[in-house]
Amino acid sequence: MNRAVWTAIALGGALLVETALAHLVASPGRYLDPFLLVVVYCALVGSETHGMLAGAAAGWVQDVMFGGRVLGLSALAKLLVGYSVGLAARRFLIATTAARALVVLLAAAADALLVQWLASAFSVELLALPPLALATRATLSALVGSVLFALVDRRLARSRP
Amino acid sequence: MATVAPAWRSRFLLVGLVLVHLTAISHQVDGGTGVSLLQRGVLGVLSPLQRGVGAAAFGASEAWRGWAFHRETYAENRRLRERLRTLETELQLRSYRAQESVRLRELLALQQAVPLDTLAAQVVGRDGVPWFRTLMLDKGERDGVRLDAAVISATGVVGRVIAVGPGAARVQVLLDRDSGAAAVVERSRVGGVVSGQVSGVEAGGEDLVLKYVPERADVVVGDVVVTSGLDRIFPKGLVIGRVRFVGEVTGLFRDIRVEPSARFERLEEVLVLREAPPPLDTPRSVE
Repeated sequence: MNRAVWTAIALGGALLVETALAHLVASPGRYLDPFLLVVVYCALVGSETHGMLAGAAAGWVQDVMFGGRVLGLSALAKLLVGYSVGLAARRFLIATTAARALVVLLAAAADALLVQWLASAFSVELLALPPLALATRATLSALVGSVLFALVDRRLARSRP
Repeated sequence: MATVAPAWRSRFLLVGLVLVHLTAISHQVDGGTGVSLLQRGVLGVLSPLQRGVGAAAFGASEAWRGWAFHRETYAENRRLRERLRTLETELQLRSYRAQESVRLRELLALQQAVPLDTLAAQVVGRDGVPWFRTLMLDKGERDGVRLDAAVISATGVVGRVIAVGPGAARVQVLLDRDSGAAAVVERSRVGGVVSGQVSGVEAGGEDLVLKYVPERADVVVGDVVVTSGLDRIFPKGLVIGRVRFVGEVTGLFRDIRVEPSARFERLEEVLVLREAPPPLDTPRSVE
């Protein structure tokens, strides 16, 4: 299967995880962003174009399913994050688990700050995410992301001839 | 003909996509109030998926419980429970009747307060991003849900529908920063607008703010706040919450916090108003 199909499947999986989490914890979006993990992975193993397109798609799903009245904020933020991570992956060697965790951490922080900045630029009222909550969300995403990326890498390595 | 290098191609694509998104957002901010075709389409495709996952998650948790107990212990437990049920039938019947009576009274009270056509809907998703407080319902346009429809529960006002798909609807909860409902203090009839706060849950943002209440208005802690009906979204007289805090005057108005009566985190079922509330009686002009 080609990359676009895998990305679509991964985004579907992220939506399922987000929905399932809502049955276990209140406001799961405050703790983890599974869509961001898909975007970062696509950007790391693909290119900046792949990261950017995955980011736009992931953001639109988030906007439509969980967003407010103005759509496109998450899409634009994730598009920029996907592009930046892809660009960074092309210029630097981001292969170790720690480096990837750091990338997810920074991407989560950048995504949150971008959404808040865009909302303020377009005069969209948002609930503020306090620094502690932002740090928790970024750290949890980084931890889950590093484990998940390692598992996916291992699986892909096995399937290769 | 010269070919465009891949790096430049991705940059052009980035700029193009950013422009498309900025245009899309600007278009909505400029006053687009309806639901876009894209939104309707995606909601239509993804909501059944979400409903399915909700059911699967429930099924998985049930299966896990079954495995967690040892089979024999589980069977014995069932036998004992049945025996206990037989012995306590009368007591349980009375208890059920009492609970049923309470529920029916609550429903009756709600129906009397809202003499409009309502529809029960299940909450299938919530709060996927930290910036907005929304719920996803399993009923949509096919069931008669319309944009801006009021959503209520037996305990109080929940919010309003901000997006409708064929079989699903997204509800903006009153706690959302961008929400608003015309409200009035039941005792003193002081009016204002109730909305969410900027701060999230961590900063105590689970209270609502009662805005535009003048400095000398008669509002005290414990006052019940209800909908005034002036917004033409929520019918008049539905309970929003209770005043928890009355602060100092900030500018022209008082800082008033309201504890919502609806338990948003535990909402499983809600009522959606299928018709808009009738216009309020307007006084005739004074001759």
